[in-house]
Parts: sequence; structure tokens; C-alpha cells
Amino acid sequence: MIEIDQAKAVIEASSLCVNIKNNPILKSLNFRVKAGEIYALLGGNGAGKSTTLKTLLGFNAPSSGSVKVDGKEVLEALNHVRKKTAYLPESATLYTHLTARENVKYFLSLADIEKTDAEIDQAFDRVALQTKARDRHMQTYSKGMRQKTAIALALLREAPIFLLDEPTSGLDPVAIDEFNQLVRELASGGATILMVTHDVYGACQVADRIGLLRDGELVGEFSAPQDGQIETEEVHAAFAQRGAA
Amino acid sequence: MSENSSSTTPFAKIIIVAKDEWRYWLRSKLAISVLAIGLLLTLSSVIVTAINTMELSHTRHELQNDADQTFVDQPDRHPHRMVHYGHYAFRAPSPLSVLDPGVDAYTGNSIFLEGHRQNSAMFADQKQGTALTQLGSLTPAFIVQTLAPLLLILIGYSSVSRERESQTLTYLLSQGTSGFTLIAGKGLALMSVIGLILVPLTISALFSLHEGESVAAILGFILGYALYLTVWALLVLLFSSALSKNSESFTALALTWILLCVVMPRVASSTAITTVPAAGKLETDFAVIAELRKLGDGHNANDPAFAQIKASLLEKYNVDSIEQLPVNYRGVIAMTSEAKLTEVLNEFAEQRMQTVLAQTIVSRDFGWLSPMVAIRSLSMLTAGTSIETHHKFLREAEDLRFNFVQGLNKVHAERLTYQDDMNRNKDLDSSNKARVAAKNWQVLDDFAFAVDKPSLRLQRSAPAFLQLLAWIAVLIIAIRWVGKRLV
Repeated sequence: MIEIDQAKAVIEASSLCVNIKNNPILKSLNFRVKAGEIYALLGGNGAGKSTTLKTLLGFNAPSSGSVKVDGKEVLEALNHVRKKTAYLPESATLYTHLTARENVKYFLSLADIEKTDAEIDQAFDRVALQTKARDRHMQTYSKGMRQKTAIALALLREAPIFLLDEPTSGLDPVAIDEFNQLVRELASGGATILMVTHDVYGACQVADRIGLLRDGELVGEFSAPQDGQIETEEVHAAFAQRGAA
Repeated sequence: MSENSSSTTPFAKIIIVAKDEWRYWLRSKLAISVLAIGLLLTLSSVIVTAINTMELSHTRHELQNDADQTFVDQPDRHPHRMVHYGHYAFRAPSPLSVLDPGVDAYTGNSIFLEGHRQNSAMFADQKQGTALTQLGSLTPAFIVQTLAPLLLILIGYSSVSRERESQTLTYLLSQGTSGFTLIAGKGLALMSVIGLILVPLTISALFSLHEGESVAAILGFILGYALYLTVWALLVLLFSSALSKNSESFTALALTWILLCVVMPRVASSTAITTVPAAGKLETDFAVIAELRKLGDGHNANDPAFAQIKASLLEKYNVDSIEQLPVNYRGVIAMTSEAKLTEVLNEFAEQRMQTVLAQTIVSRDFGWLSPMVAIRSLSMLTAGTSIETHHKFLREAEDLRFNFVQGLNKVHAERLTYQDDMNRNKDLDSSNKARVAAKNWQVLDDFAFAVDKPSLRLQRSAPAFLQLLAWIAVLIIAIRWVGKRLV
């Protein structure tokens, strides 16, 4: 079971500004994600979604403001933050010369974690990765299968925080449904999930809250009602109205 | 699901990355082909060069013995005919020349020694060979100096850049693996390849122990190559870490190889020739002839240049004519003339050697700009195949020449009367009288050329070691800087 304090914000950006090569990408960004919450940062191309994720991972330094993960300033507790975080890049590329099992074992050994083959198989079962595919080189994997492998790895690392970059882009509808189901399961288990996406429909389907990001600023937030979904039309209208491409 | 955490040390993580790099190479046809070709090339060149060098060494020893024996087996003759009959000095190759023939291939390995002349060394491999071998042979030194960096580039250019290109780098770093661990792991994998490349070289070097080479020289030689290849491994890591695409990394490394291994050594030679100009052969020959003319003709005892010697001899022995002297005047003149002539020849030879050495030193300074220049110097110096060793051979061969010529001149002066000498062309009987017994040909010193002591060779190669260490230090600083910014 993931141990995390549900009362506090697990991910928190306060007046966060990030410049890349002297260009302001994030301009006073403010948002908070609580434990067990699925938060979607929705925005068009160039809105600053990936920059936000990379800043949360410590790859970009804030030019001002603050960015905290698990209550700690990212750059001050980089090892802690990265240990607690499972990042899924858009293409979820793993090593193509390795099998899914070898990939998982390699990353786990670097993370100082020992798992048995049975435990690894359990994680693969949980993400519904086909048994026959597990010992096949990843060169032949679809994006969905690569994502499942990456999530299995995150489960084995028992990372309580997930940062997902365009997780459903390029997935077929069945794979999207499977993925959304998995994300909900993770959140119900206590995991905190921040996903960045430009897919309004997908975000509304899975997120508890949506933050609308435009030109490096949060221009709106939408929350799902109790036991319901965020209204797609409302978000779509705001997305279009705000001029996000 | 239970997590079993173990406390893996940073070094253990580096080994994990290195092992995965090997797994990648072994599963990649290109990498495994490159590794196999590299090992085969090194191994075959070591074997071929070892056979050639051992054969050469054996031949030279045999030729030296033959030349010695042929000289002493000559029948009764006029001693001055033996001066012109001459003798050969052969340079036995240094034990480590199996791996790096150095300047031996160009300078020649034997000298014809005769009176009144200092001949050049001859029978250089590069001059004897066919047009094809004159382009350079596939020696172990050439393979490790020139081709091994290419092998490292081929298998390592994408070591970090492919992680970036395939986005596994961000993924890896996001999970807490540091840039340092990643680069160090890739570096360790490359170092293990270097170890493999050096295995045949080390085994061959150890064989030279049987040929009398010292452990210190062998260690210095192998260490030098290990440092040189480390420089290349670091260059590969630096470019692979700093550039974002595999193609960029490969192009940059290929250009660097061309610059450091092909262009810089030639720039070094050209700069050396320009900054330390040397007189041409024709110019030098004319200058030598002009100086020698001032000394008089040693074959002509009546040359006015020897009038003073004649007077002092007559005075010394208190006689009125050279016929009354207890020694053969012609032999004394030959001795005196040879001594003066040798002094002049040595002066020019020393000037020439100093010029060549000064040029070599200028060229070696380019080791600060090219690790290839540094290892070439280091390799030849520690192997005892440098220009310094060749100069030592020239000086020792000249000593041998001077001693045997003067030994024969002494026989000429003391064992043959002036009258018999002057009448030598009168008739057959007179000619026979003007000969001395063959037992007098035992004037040859034993000639067994040996390279400089290992301590001196290592001392001479110290600047090249420093150059390679400086390269390594600078590259490590650069890689650390790049590693901190690795995303």
C-alpha cells in the first residue's frame, strides 16, 4: 500500500516561472495536486505542459517561484523526488534491445530494488501485459504495450506519484479504456497522478480535476462532481474560448 | 507486493550500466563485428610483426657474425686494402620493436664501415619493400594508435546520445540514476574494450622479456597505450554526452579522429621542419668536401698538408729522411689523416643529428594538441625505436669504424716497412712483400648494439606521459561539466 499523507498537497507549484534559453515558458503557474487525486493539465502545443513535468522532475530550474513534490522543493531533494516519482514520457520508450522483463529488471537494479520473477509477473498481470510478450524484445512492442511495461515498472518501484506525458496519444480506443482503468486503480490505491494532455475528452473521462494551461499560465480549473465526470462540453468550450491551439 | 531494497553502492550501479552496454553490443551485429575485427587485427598484426622481427633479429645476428668472420678470414693483404674492404655493422632490433618498429623502418639497420667515409645506414624496410609496403605496414603500434580509436568510436559514439535520441535518458534520469553513473558505466564498458584491445599487446610485450626487455619498459609501454586509449574513450563519451543525436556524435568524432590522427601528426612534422631548418644533403656534402680538402689527401704522403707532421717525425726520431723512420710514414699519415677527417665528419654528423633531434622535439610538443603525437613519441621512446636510439647506433657504429680503421692504419705503420710499401706496385714479388699477415685482421671490436637503459627511455618519455595525463584530466573535467547538464 502506498504510504502518503492525504491531507497535504503532494504536487504544488506556486508562482512558478521557468525560462528556457531566456524565453519565459511558465509564467507564475499555480496548482496543487492532492494525494490520491488525478489531475490533468490540459493545454495545446507550446502551452508549457512538458516543461511543467520536466520542472517537477528537476530537469528545469525555476527562475522564480516554488515547485514542491511530496512537500519538498524539487531541486533541494532531487533524489527523494525522483525516487517517489514514476514518469511516463509520451513515447514511453524503453530499451529495444531488451525484453520487457529485462527492462524492468535493469531499471529496478539501478533503483536499488530487488524483485523476484514472480513479483515482476504479478506486476505484468496487473497491467495486463500478455504473458507471451514479456520475454520478447521490445522492438516489436506497440505503444500501449510499452506503456504497460513502464507502469508495471512504476508499480514495482512502488512510486506514489505518477507524472504522465500525453499518456493516451497514439493508443487505440480499447487501449485507452484499459489505460484509464489502470490509472483509476492506481489513484484509488492512493497514488497521486498528474497527467498532461491536449485530449479534452480523455482528460474529462479520467481526471478528478483539470487545469487549463495556456501560454505558461493556469487560466481555469474544473473539478469533477461527487461520483461523476467533468463536463466535456464545458471544458471544451473553455479550451476553445481561451484560444489554446 | 514486497519491496526488497538492497544498498547498491554507486560503483555497483556503474557496473550495472556497463554490463547493459555490453549486452547491447553483444546483441548488436555492428558492435560485435567491430569488436571481432579489432581483436583479429590486433592479434594478427602482433603475430605477423613478431615473426618478422624475430626473423630480422636472427638475420641481423647472423649477418653480423658473417661479416665479422668474412673480415678476419681475409688473406694476407696490404692493410690499406682492408681499410677499403670495409666491414658491416648491423643493429639488432630492440625487443619491443616487435610491437613498434618506430624509426627503424625508415632509418635503416646496417652500415657499411670503411676508411675515410661515414656511410648512411641502409636496408630500411620502407625502402626495401614494394610500393605497397612503402605506404606503411600493419604493425601493432599502427593498429592501436590509428585503428583502435576508430573501433572505440564505432562502438561508443552512440553510447549516451542513443539514450537521448530514444528518450530513455530522461526516463533513466527521472528514476534517480545520476548522469555521472550513466556516463561512468558507459565509460567502464569502453574501458573493458580497451582492456581487450590491450590483451594481445600485453602478451606480446611480455614475450619480449625473453629477449631481454625490462619489466619497467614493458609496463611503461602498456601503460602509455592504456592512457592513450583512455583519452579516446573519454573523447567518445564527451561527444556522445554533449551532442543530442547519434549522427552528430559520429560526425564530430570522425572529424576529431581525422584531425588528431591524420592532420595533427603531419602539421607537427611540417612545423618541425619549418621551425628547425636543416641543410640539404647536397649542401652538406659540399660543405664536408670543402672542409676535408683543407686536411690534405691521406693517400698522398707528400701532400703539403702533412709537411709539419713529417718534420716533427724526423725530429722525434732524429733521422734525415722518412725512409730512415722506424715506422712506415705512409701508415702514420693514414692514421693522422683518418683522425682529423673523422673529427670533421663527426662534427657534421653531430650537427645533423642535433638538428634532427631538435625537429623531433618540436614535433613531440604537438602531443599537447594531439594524443596521437604523444603516444607515437611515448611508444617509440619506451620501445627503444626512437631517433635517439638510431643516433646511438650511428655513434657506436662510427666508433667501431674509427677503431678498426685506425687498428689497420697502426698495422700499416708498424708491420709494413716504408720501402716495401713504396715498391708495392713494382712487380708481383714486391706486391707480395707489401702484404701483412692475415692474423693482423683481428682488429674488430665485438659489436653488439643495445638500446638505452629502460630508466633513460622512460625518463625521455615522461613528457609524453604528462601530455596524455593532461588530456585525460581536461576531458574528465569536460565530461563532469557535461554530465551535470545531462538531460
